[in-house]
Amino acid sequence: MSTTSPATQGLARRLLAFEAAHDNATGVDGAARVIEELRLQLIKLAGIEGFRALLSRALTLAKAEVPSLNMVQVSADGSLEGFEGIEQSQEAAATEHAGEILVAHLLELLVTFLGEPLTLRLVRDKSPDASMDGSDVRTEEKP
Amino acid sequence: MSVQNRVSIQTLPTGVPGLDEILGGGLPEFSFNIIAGAPGGGKTTLAHQIMFANATPERPALYFTVLGEPAIKMLRYQQQFQFFDQTKFNTSVRFINLSQVVLDHDLEAVLEEIVKEVEAASPGIVVVDSFRTVVRKAQSAGSDVELQGFIQRLALNLTSWQATTFLIGEYDEGEVRDNPVFTVADGLFWLSQQIDRNSIVRKLHIKKSRGQASVPGLHTFRITEAGLQTFPRTLGLNDQEEKPRGHRRLSSGVPELDEMMGGGIPEGDSLLVAGSSGTGKSLLGTKFIVEGIRQGEPGIVAMFEERPGEYAERAASFGLDLVTPQKEGKLRLLYIRPLDLSVDETVREIIDTVKELGAKRLVIDSLAGFEMALAPGFRTDFRESLYRMIGALTRTGVTILSTVEVQETFTGFTLSAYAISFLSDDILRLRFISINGQLRKMMVVIKMRRSTHSIDMREYEITSEGFVIRDRLTGYRGLTTGVPGPWSDERGDTHAPKDEPESNQ
Repeated sequence: MSTTSPATQGLARRLLAFEAAHDNATGVDGAARVIEELRLQLIKLAGIEGFRALLSRALTLAKAEVPSLNMVQVSADGSLEGFEGIEQSQEAAATEHAGEILVAHLLELLVTFLGEPLTLRLVRDKSPDASMDGSDVRTEEKP
Repeated sequence: MSVQNRVSIQTLPTGVPGLDEILGGGLPEFSFNIIAGAPGGGKTTLAHQIMFANATPERPALYFTVLGEPAIKMLRYQQQFQFFDQTKFNTSVRFINLSQVVLDHDLEAVLEEIVKEVEAASPGIVVVDSFRTVVRKAQSAGSDVELQGFIQRLALNLTSWQATTFLIGEYDEGEVRDNPVFTVADGLFWLSQQIDRNSIVRKLHIKKSRGQASVPGLHTFRITEAGLQTFPRTLGLNDQEEKPRGHRRLSSGVPELDEMMGGGIPEGDSLLVAGSSGTGKSLLGTKFIVEGIRQGEPGIVAMFEERPGEYAERAASFGLDLVTPQKEGKLRLLYIRPLDLSVDETVREIIDTVKELGAKRLVIDSLAGFEMALAPGFRTDFRESLYRMIGALTRTGVTILSTVEVQETFTGFTLSAYAISFLSDDILRLRFISINGQLRKMMVVIKMRRSTHSIDMREYEITSEGFVIRDRLTGYRGLTTGVPGPWSDERGDTHAPKDEPESNQ
C-alpha cells in the first residue's frame, strides 16, 4: 500500500492520464514525461540542485514501495536515468504502477513543502488543460 | 524648465501599513532600491509584501533567488503571511532561481539571464535575493570594476524596462561607504533589530530616497501574520490638518474641581494629574470619562497596569458604570501591556481608536505604566516620545487626561519623574499631607495654560460617592511639603487652624 495520500495518488493518475490522452505516452514514458515537465517547471523555481534533491527523495520513498525502481537514478541535471529498463523487465500494469508511485511521491513532497494550492498551481501550469480541482487533495486523508 | 514641464514621478503603494507615509507618498516608480540589514530583519518579507501588493498579470513581479534561502523553503514560510495571495503564484508573481548561473558562470551570464527574463515578462517589480551573493561572486573574482559595471548595467536595463527594482542584501552599517551598490541605488531601506532582554525592537531607516522627501529618522516596525507594519514617527498625521481647539470647557465630573480650573478643562487640552499612589488619580480619570459619556462625548481609557475588567469593577464600586457605555460603543478600555511596545505603536493604536470611536476624551492611566509597557530600548527616549505622543494626540482634537505617579517626599513638591510637565497645558497636583496625626489629601491646580485658575489648596476626601472637595486649607504653612505647620504672624505668634488642637503645633 502506498504511503502517499489517495488524493495525491489521484492527482498523479490524472496527470498520467492527461499525458496518455494528449501525447499518447503511457507506462514509463508517461511518467517520465510528467516528471520531465515538472522538472522544467521546478528548476526555474528551485534550481537544478533543488529539484534534484526533491526527486531523489521521492525516488527513495518510491523504491521502498516498488523495488523495481531500484534501477532508476537521478542524474546531475535532475532528469531520470534507467527508467526505460523497468518497462523491459516487467508487465505493463506493473510499469504503470511504478511510474504512478514515483509521480505521487514527488507531488506529495511538493504538497508537504509548498502546500496544496501552490502545488496545484504548478501542476496546472504544466498541463493547463487538465481538469484538476484540488478538492480531493484537500479533503481526503491518508488511509 | 518650468514646474509644469517637470517629469512627474509616480509612486507605487508598498502594501506595508505606514511605509508609504514614511517614503513621502509611496515607492518612486522605476526606482532601483536596496533592502539591507542583518539576517532575520524582515528583508525578504518586506520584498514579498511590496511584490504581492503591486504584481498583476500584465505587469508581473519577478523574484530572482540567488544562493540564499532555498526558494521552496522561502515559499513555505512566506505563504504563512496574509499578504501572500496564492492565486498570484506563478502568474503575477514568478520565482526564478539563478543559483546555478551564479555558480557556473560569471556576472555577465547573470545579467544576461536577468535581462532575458525581464524582456520576456515585462515586469513591474523585480527582486534579486540575495544580491549580496552576486556581489561576493564579483569580489571573489577580484574585480571591483566588473562589479561596478554589472550594477550599472543592471540598473540601466531594469529601469529602461520600467521595472521598480529591489536588491536584497545582508550588509552592516560599515559597508555603506564606497560600495558601488549603494552609490547606484535610488533608495536604501535599512532594517535593523535590537534585542534587549526579552524584547525585540525592530527599526526601519530610509537612508536614501532619491526624488522624494522621506520622513527622516528611525521608524519602528513589527512583523505579524499580516506581514510588516511600520509606525511612522509622524504617527499618521502628516497629511491631516490639526483640528482647531474648541472654546468649550469640559467638566471633569467633579463640580468643585471644575470651579478650581476656571470652569472645567479647556477642550483639546492635555491635563496632567500628578500624585502618589492612593490619591485618586485613576478615579478622577474615570469621573472625567463617565461625565463625557453622560454628555454624549465618547471616550477611551488607555490602561497599562490594571486590566479592563478590574478597572470597570473598581469604577462600579464608586457607582460609575463603564460596562454599558462599552456595549453601546461609547467607550473603549484599551489594555496595552505587551512589554515590547514602541511609543509610536501605542499612539497609533490610540489614534486609530480615537478615529474609530469619534472619541472626545482620552485618559492615559498611567504614564508610569506606559513606560513599563515599552521595550527597554524605547525607555531611554521616553521623554522625547511623550512629547511626540501628546503633540500627536492633541492634534486629533481629543482632550487628554494623563495620570502620573509621583514619588512623594515630605520636603518637596515634585510634579513628575519625567520632567514632562511642560508638555501639559494644565497640571493638577494631588498629594498627601500629614495633619494632626492623619494622612489627609490635598489638591491644587498648578497651571492652566490658557486661563486663570484657583490657587487654593483644598483638602479632599474619597468616599463611596467619589470626590468630596472641602474648603481651602487655611492657617498652615508648608502645605506643599506635606508636613504643614501652623502659620506665624509678623510677631512670631502662631495661629492654629480652627480645627486643630494646640497640641499639634
